[in-house]
Amino acid sequence: MFSRRRFIRIGAASVGSLALRNFGLLPAMAQSTSDYKALVCVFLYGGNDSNNTVIPIDLPQATYSEYSNLRASLALPTTSLTTARTAVDGHNYYFHGDLVELANLFTQGNLAVAANVGPLVQPVTRSQISNPAVIPAHLFSHSDQQSEWQTSDPTEQNTPFGWGGRTADQVDLQKFNTSKFPTFMSVTGNDQFGAGVNDQIELNPGGNLNLTGFDYTLAQPRSNAINTLLNTETGLSLAGAANGVMLNSISDAQLLTKALTGVTVTTTFPTTSLGAQLKQVAQIIKARETLGMQRQIFFCSFGGFDTHTVELETHRTLYPQLSQAINAFYTEMNVQSLQNSVTLFTESDFSRTFQPTTGDGSDHAWGSHHMVLGGAVKGNKIYGTFPTFALGMNDDFDTRGRWIPTGSVDQYGAALVNWFGVNASAVFPNLATFGTTNPFSFFS
Amino acid sequence: MQITASMRFAALAMISTFLCGAQSPPQGMPASTAARILEQATWGPTAATIADLQSKGFDAWFAAQVAAPITTYPNQPMLNSSGTGFTNLSGVQVQFFENALYNPDQLRQRVAFALSEIWVVSHEGVVSYAAAFPPLLNIFQNDAFGTYSQLMKDVTLNPAMGEYLNMVNNHKSTSTSSANENYGRELMQLFTLGLNVLEPNGNPVLDANNNPIPTYSPKTVTEMSAALTGWTYAPTPTGGVSPNLFSPMVAQQSQHDVSAKMIPFTYPNGTTVNVSLPANQTAEQDLEGALAGIYANPTLAPFVVKQLIQHLVTSNPSPAYIQDVVGVFNTTGGNLQKVVYEILTYSEARNGDSGVANEAGNFGHLREPVLLVENLLRALNGTVFDSSTIYNYTSNLGQSLFNEPSVFSYFSPQYTVATGPTTAALAPEFQLHTTQTAVSRANYIYSAIYNGQLDGSTMFSIANFVTAASTSNAALETLISNTFFHGLMSSSLTTAINTALSDPKTNTATLKAQAALYVALTSSEFQIIH
Repeated sequence: MFSRRRFIRIGAASVGSLALRNFGLLPAMAQSTSDYKALVCVFLYGGNDSNNTVIPIDLPQATYSEYSNLRASLALPTTSLTTARTAVDGHNYYFHGDLVELANLFTQGNLAVAANVGPLVQPVTRSQISNPAVIPAHLFSHSDQQSEWQTSDPTEQNTPFGWGGRTADQVDLQKFNTSKFPTFMSVTGNDQFGAGVNDQIELNPGGNLNLTGFDYTLAQPRSNAINTLLNTETGLSLAGAANGVMLNSISDAQLLTKALTGVTVTTTFPTTSLGAQLKQVAQIIKARETLGMQRQIFFCSFGGFDTHTVELETHRTLYPQLSQAINAFYTEMNVQSLQNSVTLFTESDFSRTFQPTTGDGSDHAWGSHHMVLGGAVKGNKIYGTFPTFALGMNDDFDTRGRWIPTGSVDQYGAALVNWFGVNASAVFPNLATFGTTNPFSFFS
Repeated sequence: MQITASMRFAALAMISTFLCGAQSPPQGMPASTAARILEQATWGPTAATIADLQSKGFDAWFAAQVAAPITTYPNQPMLNSSGTGFTNLSGVQVQFFENALYNPDQLRQRVAFALSEIWVVSHEGVVSYAAAFPPLLNIFQNDAFGTYSQLMKDVTLNPAMGEYLNMVNNHKSTSTSSANENYGRELMQLFTLGLNVLEPNGNPVLDANNNPIPTYSPKTVTEMSAALTGWTYAPTPTGGVSPNLFSPMVAQQSQHDVSAKMIPFTYPNGTTVNVSLPANQTAEQDLEGALAGIYANPTLAPFVVKQLIQHLVTSNPSPAYIQDVVGVFNTTGGNLQKVVYEILTYSEARNGDSGVANEAGNFGHLREPVLLVENLLRALNGTVFDSSTIYNYTSNLGQSLFNEPSVFSYFSPQYTVATGPTTAALAPEFQLHTTQTAVSRANYIYSAIYNGQLDGSTMFSIANFVTAASTSNAALETLISNTFFHGLMSSSLTTAINTALSDPKTNTATLKAQAALYVALTSSEFQIIH
């Protein structure tokens, strides 16, 4: 009934002809599995100082006392930390005191930490970083690093598409889902993570896509006229793009409303922005069968992490929201008996300088620690390698503790995508550069 | 010295003689040309403003716009009645919408808003006092037709910006902590130079490997940050509340880094230029030197000019358009009045006056939520009262006024949409345009037309359209075309309206006017201002 124009929204990419590389898309294969899987990305905008998210106490290269000494005004006293948690490697770790729910999920074995991950063109050492060809473009720029985490293209030259969108495109090719409802949904507006050949759908928490007074059967002349206009070439390319967005909304509105009718989420979620987003995701997941979905990818976001000043105070506001919202989501997944089918993971622009600013904050850095949560995750474990807590030494980009990542976004994403049932090499063409052993073996 | 009316007219005559471009639309221009100019240069054409521009001709109209009384935001209190900090920005937000609807300095307001979308200071989570905003907004209003270098200085020393990006109380480095890099970086990346050096036509300069060339390095950021240390709030007046958010910041030499600084920049010709600031300068001297060093980089003009064109005219200016306006920037010392005049009179802005066929295929830009709502208010005899919650509506469309989600503004100048299998176009406002907001946009248009309001204090009247509808469908369509499409509504849109009007249930003049308006205003032909 509707012809859906697919106008790709590709985010901040170079204009002109799109030289879209062939990413080795696999031929379409029908899936015979009847399991459901979902990936939920929580992007922390601004660059979360993960040096204060999880703190090693007694690693050979990184101890709490070295941390305290170097972080100075940013060093958290033990009164601001959780109790020490012993991981499966026998070493002990603190979490920020306001992340106690996440620390408990770690101890319980459902949450893992990926240490020192970041965009990488190739594995790189301190002696090599002055060569621009081997380091990501525009390190320390918010917009570029957000883009590189979402596309896993550290050159920003190869693709405008997000690795979430590329994964969703694979899902489409492999015919996991039985309806035309988009695989990728954002509950936080536009994002590059979901940009791909197939369009993503955006929904506000608690919102719907219903056009007031619109007759979706098109019997009503006014609605019919609007539909005709949406499919008419005006000669204005931006008008065509606008038409494409509206056609997508119209295509998805009725199925979405039908699927969500009567579907309630029983867990109480915090009434924060992230709480509302994750509650909406949980409701969509609960409606997955009506939506015809076997594979879904969700994008949520939480901003405010650009803590150049008064960082400790700012984290006291942000971290409880982060911890409580994610905890409520995991609780709800258990209620729905889907905890093994849904994996939530964090990303962020970058971590921040180990050495503080004079304003009791930190500046932009590089390698960061992230969290992966789900019943399928082998938690209570640190994957990857913490940097050496020393300024101006081998793990430092300069003299302020901007850690050179030891794991790449490719590797981090590949672990998630392989678990999800899509071939990671099809999504991450640069994966082989990092060797055959992926440190982020969260699921095996 | 008091400016009298006769002095003002004499000044107008002088200015319009000075500015007269051979191609600027003259007195007696067609109504469609006048309406289209006003779409670009104001918050929306009205019958009165169309007639005024036609009778003055562009140059005299432009001069009158520059000379019009400057809309000013009155100071907000620091504290509310219970003595706690006054953080509710809704009063300032509503003033913005009222100013845009009613006040005559329309072009100045459009330019000021564009500047505020580049030099971002957001209330969202950081700058909490409402009082911080009027002084900042007044800088954009007052500097809209001044020089870019003056704007750079005024915003750099504004306390709201100081709070937002940590220019205030950024103390010099110690052995265990560093001066923070927030303002030093974003000043260059977002407000003046951009990440990569640009040709005068706005194209990125490419190196031997066809890669863009960064304008600055991490060392630039560190040195710039050191140069900008040592500023604090002005003293609080007796009986006032601190901090002083009303006066420019003042130097605090004891916290200023007095080491020698070498700030490296790359220029579009590929050379590295080191801005050298000797040791033991004052905070003021280092600030002047640092800002002058930024301003001297030729990449600044195309970086700024392209964004101004994107906000006023089109998301995809041609290299020739950018280069032409950059030429004016460079030969006038960055005079924004002259730059804006050139932006509006250059052929690429005016070609479409005679029809869409004379515009490039990717011409125009999506009406951002604030512009959309103001266009509707001005075209539909709108009323906004102080109790209006209009800011919630634009927020639901993705644009919460003065609450930009980050220093990267409401949307990025680099945001791009695909326009075909292998082609793409810049479309900054599309960053806000999602399956969700597109629907909300249409639903708010529905509410304005069918309910006559958004909330009870934000009202629209379609009376003129009902009158036209009671005459004939053709009269209704003509009025819609003249009001919203500068007289050039397409035949396919006319056909669509006729289809809607053919519904036997659409049988009163009111229902006809509503149906026609709804089809017209939800169309992408309207949503893309061109």
